[in-house]
Amino acid sequence: MSTPTIFCLHALGSSRLEFEPLAERLGDDFEVVAFDLPGFGEANRAEGLSVDEMVDGVIRKIRRHGSTRFLLAGHSMGGKVATLVAARILDGSAGLFGLTGVVLLAASPPSPEPMSDESRAQMLGWAATGRIDHDAARTFVDDNVGAPLGAAADERALADVQRSRAEAWTAWFERGSREDRSDEVGTLDVPAVILAGGADGPLGEDGQRRLNLPVYGRADVVVLEGAGHLLPLERPDEVAAAVRTLWREHAGRGPEVPVDVGRVIASGRTNTRTRRILARRALADRPSYEPRALTPAQLETLRAVAARVVPQTGEPIDLAARVDSQLHRGHSDGWRNVALPPDPEAYRLALTALAGFGDLSEHARDETLTAIVDGSWTPPAGTLTADQMTLWFEDCRVDLSRTWLAHPATMARVGFDGFANGGDVQRIQGFHLLAADTREGWEPLPHPTHDHDTQEAAR
Amino acid sequence: MRLDGMRTYSDDEIVDAVVIGTGAGGAPVLATLAERGLRVVALEAGPNFDPHEFTPDENQAVDINWMEERLTDGANPTAFGANNSGRGVGGSTLHWGAFTPRPDPRDLKLHSDSGKGVDWPIEHAELIPYIERVEHFVGIAGPESYPWDPSRKYLMPPPARNASSDMMMRGCEALGIRATDAPAALTTVDRHQEHAGLRPACSSCGSCHQGCRSGAKVSMDTTYLPLAVAHGAEIRPDSMVTGIELDGQGRVSAVVYLRDGVEHRQRCAALFLCAGGVETPRLLLHTGLANSSGQVGRNYMAHGATQVWGTFETEMRSHRGYPSSIITEDTLRPDDADFAGGYLLQSLGVVPLTLATTMVRGGGLWGRELVGAMDGYRYLAGVGMNGECLPSDDNVLTLSDEKDAYGIPKARVAFSSGENEEAMDRHAIRTMTAIVEAAGATSTRVLARTAHTIGTARMGDSADSAVVDADGRSFDVPNLWIADNSVFPSAVVANPALAIMALGLRSAEKFLAA
Ligand SMILES: Cc1cc2nc3c(=O)[nH]c(=O)nc-3n(C[C@H](O)[C@H](O)[C@H](O)COP(=O)(O)OP(=O)(O)OC[C@H]3O[C@@H](n4cnc5c(N)ncnc54)[C@H](O)[C@@H]3O)c2cc1C
Ligand code: SF4
Repeated sequence: MSTPTIFCLHALGSSRLEFEPLAERLGDDFEVVAFDLPGFGEANRAEGLSVDEMVDGVIRKIRRHGSTRFLLAGHSMGGKVATLVAARILDGSAGLFGLTGVVLLAASPPSPEPMSDESRAQMLGWAATGRIDHDAARTFVDDNVGAPLGAAADERALADVQRSRAEAWTAWFERGSREDRSDEVGTLDVPAVILAGGADGPLGEDGQRRLNLPVYGRADVVVLEGAGHLLPLERPDEVAAAVRTLWREHAGRGPEVPVDVGRVIASGRTNTRTRRILARRALADRPSYEPRALTPAQLETLRAVAARVVPQTGEPIDLAARVDSQLHRGHSDGWRNVALPPDPEAYRLALTALAGFGDLSEHARDETLTAIVDGSWTPPAGTLTADQMTLWFEDCRVDLSRTWLAHPATMARVGFDGFANGGDVQRIQGFHLLAADTREGWEPLPHPTHDHDTQEAAR
Repeated sequence: MRLDGMRTYSDDEIVDAVVIGTGAGGAPVLATLAERGLRVVALEAGPNFDPHEFTPDENQAVDINWMEERLTDGANPTAFGANNSGRGVGGSTLHWGAFTPRPDPRDLKLHSDSGKGVDWPIEHAELIPYIERVEHFVGIAGPESYPWDPSRKYLMPPPARNASSDMMMRGCEALGIRATDAPAALTTVDRHQEHAGLRPACSSCGSCHQGCRSGAKVSMDTTYLPLAVAHGAEIRPDSMVTGIELDGQGRVSAVVYLRDGVEHRQRCAALFLCAGGVETPRLLLHTGLANSSGQVGRNYMAHGATQVWGTFETEMRSHRGYPSSIITEDTLRPDDADFAGGYLLQSLGVVPLTLATTMVRGGGLWGRELVGAMDGYRYLAGVGMNGECLPSDDNVLTLSDEKDAYGIPKARVAFSSGENEEAMDRHAIRTMTAIVEAAGATSTRVLARTAHTIGTARMGDSADSAVVDADGRSFDVPNLWIADNSVFPSAVVANPALAIMALGLRSAEKFLAA
C-alpha cells in the first residue's frame, strides 16, 4: 500500500503553515502537502487571485507532485477551491486521477459565502490602505477563534494575516466569495468529512449543513464544540482524527490503483470522458450501502455469492452493491431470456431462494453453485425453478465479473491499458507496438496479483 | 456528425421517401435518393453522436448499442445488446468490427449446390458491381493480392498486424492453410472523404467495437450520411418510429414516430424500412403490414461465431491494434465437410469485459477459474469463425406480450442451431484449435457465440414465400421497400455489412427506376 497524500488548501489570510500541526499528527501515515495560495504566505504575488486561477494553480501543483492516491483538504476559502478542484477531477477535465476523499474545514461553499454586508465592508476596509496592519490582524484572529490560541499558533496566525497581499484579500471579498459555482459542481459522490466549529459564525454547523452537505452526498458532519473558524490551528488533534477516520472507514477502502496506471489515466492518452468514468468508478464503496433494488438480506446473500463467483484478494470491491445500484438504475444488457422475469425481479427471487447461502461452508457454497449451473439445484417453492436459477446465475456471473473488471484496479491487475488508447484529439495516439512481448514506454508494467491459486489457473 | 445547416422538411410535406434507420442499409439508400434530388427524410431512433465523445470504456460505450430489452428463447438464445446491434445515427456501423470480406458466389447458390438452405434471387455477378462501388466510396483496406479472388483490388494497404494476427499467420502456415491480411473498412492512409472531411489513418487503438473516435473506421456517419445531407437529405435523430399508415389504395402515406415524447406523422410517397434484422420485422408485425406470405419474422439466422483462445508464453495483449486483421477463406468449402456451406476464420483481438462475458456465457466459467482465466488475459490470443447458418422454421421472431417504453410489444426471438450448424461448429473448433496449437498455445479454450441478426423479412421470387422481391420491394405494399439485414434469404459466410450496403444501393436504384 502506498502512502496517501493529503493536499491542503488554507484559508484567507493564512498560509500553508496553518497545516503544520496537522502534518505533525498525520505525518507517519500520510504525506501532508500544503500549498500557499496566490497572495498568501510566501506566494507574494498580485496575480492569479481569482477562484478559477487558484483552482488551475492547485491542479497544476497536484499534477507536478504526481500523487495518484490522495485526499483534498480545504479550510474556509481553501474549501471552495478544494470543492472546485474535486469537481474538475471527477468530471475528468483536470487531467488528474486518484482523488479518494475531501476534508472540509469550516469551508466556504461553492455557492456564495454567507457574510453580512457589515463584516464584508469591515474586512475590505482593512485592506484599503494596501496592507493589513497589526490591529486589523488582531481583530481578525480574535473574531475567528472560539478560545485564544496558544502563543506560537497565535503569533503565526497574526503574521500570516499581515503578510497577505491586499489584492488577494480584496479579490476574495469582492469576487471569489460571491461567485456561485454550484451548478458546475453539482453533487459530488466522493467520501468526505465536513468539520464545523461549534462557535463559528455563518460557516458554522448550520452553514455547513445548509451549503456544503447537499453538495457532498455521502459526507459525515463533525462539529467541534467550542471551536471557532480556525480549525487547523485550534483543534489539530480532532482534525487529524477526522482525517484518519475518513481514510480508514471510507476513502481508503477498496483496491488500490497502481501509481503508473493512475498516471496514465491522468495523462493526455486518456480522453476526458474515460477519465471521468474511471475517476468515479475508483471511488470507494459506501460501507453502509443501503440496497435500492434488493432487500438488505438479499444484498448480503448476493455478497456471499459474489465472493464465490469473483473471489477477490485484498481490499475487495463491493460488487454486490454495485450490481444492486445498476439494477435500481434500470441498467439492462439489452436482452433477457424469455423464461426469466425482468432482471430486478429475477435477482430478488433467486436471492430469496438462496437465503442462508452465506452461512454454508465454503465447500457447500461451491457445491450449490455448481448444482445451479447444471440445473440440479432445487429452489424452494415460490421462487424460481431450477432452470430459471441456471439462467439467472449466468446473468449474475456476467454482471459480477463485468463489474469487477470495469474497476481500474482490476484492469491493472489483468494488464489491460486500452482505456488509454487516445486522448481528446482526432488523431488519437493508439498503439505503435502491437507484436507479442512488446510494450511502449508509456504503458504500465504488469501488476499481477500475488494470489497463487489464480496465477496457477491463469497459466 | 454535423447536422446543423442541413435541409429540413415539415411533417406535412409529402416527401419523396422516408428512410427508417441510418445503419448499413438505410444510409446508402438515403444518399442515393438524395443524390438524385429526391426529398428524403431519415428517422433514426437513436441520438446523433460526436465521435470524440466515444469512450473505450466497455461499460459506458453501450450508449451506441441498442439496449432496449429483447426476449430470447430457444436452445441457443441470442445475446443481444452490445453483441449485435447499434442505435444512433450510423446504426450498427458505429460499433461494427469493419471486417469486410465479400460474399462468395457459392453462398448465393447454396441450395442449388447442396440441396440445403436457399438460393438468393440475385446473381452474384449482379451484386459485385454494387459491392465494388461501396468499397470504392467508403474506402476499404486489404491485401495486395487476395488468394481466393486474385482479380480483386483494395484501395489501401491492410491494417497493421497485432500479436493475434502474427499468431494466426504462424498457425495457418504450419498447417498449410492460406491466410492473409483481412479486408477492413478503415483508412490505413489519411483519406479525404467526400463531404465528411479528413479521416486520418487508423491508429491501431483497438476500440472499433466501442466506436471509432478518429473517423478512421468506416461508419455510416463518416461516409454515406454526410453525402446524403450534402445533397439535401434530412436526418432526424431521436425519432422512434411506432407506426406506418396506409392510404385507401394500400400504399404507405405516412410514418408515425415519437420524438421527445411527442407523436409526429411524416407524410411520404414511399417508405424504406431499414431498421435491422430485429426492428424491421418487429415493426411489420406490430403494424400488421407486408405479411401476406406469413414470412415476417421467420428464418431468423445468426452466424456461428465460436472462438478458440490459446494461452501463450509471450504477452499477446490483444487489445492493441485493429481487432481482426487476418482472414482465411480456405474453410469456405472444406473437403471433409459433413455439412452444407462453410465458414471463414479471423484473428481476434478482445477487450476484457467482452471476453469475460463470453467466458461466462460461452465457456460456463465462474469462481477461481474465471478469475484465473482473466488473470491470464494478457497471454491470450484467439481465432474466431463466421459460419453459414441455414434458414429454419424453428427460428422465429414474434411479438411478446410485454411492451417496451414506446408501447410496442417487445421482440421475442427463438434460435436453436440445427444439425448443420453443429456439424460446422465441430469442424471449425477442430480447425481453430489446430491453428492456435500450431502457433504455440500451451492450452486452449473454446467459447461458443453467435453474431449478427439476419433474415426475418426475406427476399425471393414469390409472394408466397418471401416478404420482398429481389429488388427489396414489398409484394403487398407497393411503395414499401426494405433494405437491411432482414432481407437476406440465407446468411452467407461473409460478414453481412458490405452486402447490406450494396443491397441498399441496389434497392434505391431499382426504386428510382421503378
Ligand atoms: C459488435 C458487432 C460487430 C460487428 N462486426 C461486423 C463486421 O466486422 N463486419 C460486418 O460485416 N458486420 C459486422 N457487424 C454487423 C453489422 O454491423 C450489421 O450487420 C449491419 O450494420 C446491419 O445493418 P442494418 O442496416 O441491417 O441495421 P443497423 O446497422 O443496425 O441499422 C438499423 C438502424 O435502425 C434504427 N432503428 C431501428 N428501429 C427503429 C425505429 N423503430 N425507428 C427509427 N429507427 C429505428 C436503429 O437505431 C439503427 O440505427 C457487427 C455487429 C456487431 C454488433
Ligand atoms: S483500431 Fe483504427 S479503425 Fe478501429 S477504432 Fe481504432 S482508430 Fe478506429
